[in-house]
Amino acid sequence: MPTAEALEQRITELRAQVRRAAGSGDRTAARRLRAELRAAETEWDTAVLGAPEQPAPVRQLAAAVPVREHVHRALTLLSVPAAPKLILAVHDAFFSGELVPARLTSLRRDEERSFRAAPYARPYYLCAAMTTDLLAPARGLLAVSTWPLAQRMVGPLSPRVDLLTGAIRLARHMTDHGCTPAGQRVLWQLGVSIPGATDGKSIDPDVVLAAAERELEVHRDDDTQQRADAAERAVRQLADPAAQLFGVRLAVADRRRNEA
Amino acid sequence: MTLAEKTLTTRLDELRGDAPTSRHNARTIAALTANPGCARRALLDAAAVDKTVIAQELGFPPKFGQSPFAITRGNSFEAMVKSHGCAELLRLLREELGLTIPEVGYHDLETVGDNATNSVRYQRTKQLLGQALSSGQGTMFDHPMLRLEIAGATAYLEPDVVALQIGGLFHVVEIKSFAIVDGQADPAQVASAARQSAVYVLAMRELLRELGQPPELVAHNSILVCARDFTNRPTAALVDLRKQLAVIGRQLSRLTSIDTLLDLVPPGATFTPGAGLSDTVAAIPSRYAPDCMSSCELAFACRSEARTHGSVDTLGRGVCDDLGGIDNLDTVLALADGTLDPGPEHADIAEMLRRARALRLEVAR
Ligand code: SF4
Repeated sequence: MPTAEALEQRITELRAQVRRAAGSGDRTAARRLRAELRAAETEWDTAVLGAPEQPAPVRQLAAAVPVREHVHRALTLLSVPAAPKLILAVHDAFFSGELVPARLTSLRRDEERSFRAAPYARPYYLCAAMTTDLLAPARGLLAVSTWPLAQRMVGPLSPRVDLLTGAIRLARHMTDHGCTPAGQRVLWQLGVSIPGATDGKSIDPDVVLAAAERELEVHRDDDTQQRADAAERAVRQLADPAAQLFGVRLAVADRRRNEA
Repeated sequence: MTLAEKTLTTRLDELRGDAPTSRHNARTIAALTANPGCARRALLDAAAVDKTVIAQELGFPPKFGQSPFAITRGNSFEAMVKSHGCAELLRLLREELGLTIPEVGYHDLETVGDNATNSVRYQRTKQLLGQALSSGQGTMFDHPMLRLEIAGATAYLEPDVVALQIGGLFHVVEIKSFAIVDGQADPAQVASAARQSAVYVLAMRELLRELGQPPELVAHNSILVCARDFTNRPTAALVDLRKQLAVIGRQLSRLTSIDTLLDLVPPGATFTPGAGLSDTVAAIPSRYAPDCMSSCELAFACRSEARTHGSVDTLGRGVCDDLGGIDNLDTVLALADGTLDPGPEHADIAEMLRRARALRLEVAR
């Protein structure tokens, strides 16, 4: 078995090759290289983390999976804070079982209540993405409590960065696990605003991936910096663990006076 | 708040009484300028009274307004254009207006840390736009809160989006779900969107003035985002607002001062629905014109009132002008058929009316 260092080098090389192939439009090569990349990454996992545990049987009764579990899966696939609408679309396209839109509306509140009643009693909570400036809950965006704080921050550039990151994640998933029409539709939704990601007629995960990575290069550094700063500030300023997960709300003082 | 402003606010609050309130929006303000001389409307609007309810109370429910279907469609179109940090809008701005790739900054101003009060959102909008001006950063501002003085009262306004920094200028973006087919849209709908955008541009310029910045930093072109052909795909066009800005700006500054209008209200009267309402309304002079039908909820009530009084207003402004200040239909008719002798000031109009009557009789024969 190769060492982790050797694998890391191989992974870096493969990534560059994938990008080159996708950039030059050679989709067959890109797909083959991507498969090799996946294999190398799995090997790295095994080398560093030990052999993977036997995965639990995936087929469960749909009804047995609670809403939060569904949402958690979709968010994990995306790896970025997302609005209920996108979560639903991702869930429908990539996972089985039924997720009712109405159940999403009260989810964050329920999670907060549960956390406040018994902090850290669950392995994860579905919590809020937080704005970098006010450390307040970002309107309508859900995140996962186990993510690093910076990943849950939303600065001015983050909506764009998150869209690009989400598109990349979905595109990768599709090259590895195949494209369903539903998956293509979601990728299309995210891809239409990325220059060069679609030709207006069809959608190819490799092309989306390359285009999204190109644009991401432009925004990533500034966004990462802003999020990191905000995360650090949140740790310093928010003593209440619930506030770190669900954000700070500005009290609505004397409504009448505010409206005048 | 100065003492004078305070008493004005208090007086308007008293005048409103227990009447349900409604908020101003760009559409009501654009409509307000459609009949700037009407004291009744100016007072109802300044006191932020829901005119629909008043009209119902008077027995003349308004028969216009957007269908719930159109509202739902409009909202979902807007949500689609704005989803994922205005991704679709970015695409449009890039493709059609040359926005560069690095310009993606997005600020959501619909709430400020879950606080959705107007004044908090307004302060935050001002702060963020100020920062954007000094740092050159920040591209899109979603649902900013703006303010405009309407006849001495403050109205809060919410454009769909304000986009910054296309050629260093702020642009107002208006998202409408009507279709542009083959590059053509319904001119009436475009015109009404343009009027609304012009109200936002004026409010934005007001805000820049407050920040001590040149108001010209708000472009006189707005960006209209519509559905392309019959699809749900958005497309964008620049709309030149110079004409609308001139008209609305001028009329807003001309709106009769509310202070003096308040004196027209009988002491103690309020717009509270109930027995005294129709007397209060009747005591405040109106200025009905056929345009009211498309712009004011009270139109049916005012038309009926004008008809019972035999007012020539119901015939439209053109006719009123031709009648040179005679405001009663009976007078007009009597002059025409000769049963009333015209004074010297009405001699030529009487002459004209008689000739018109003679012609009419001839044609009718
Ligand atoms: S309908 Fe009546 S209240 Fe409304 S603007 Fe016309 S005259 Fe004034």
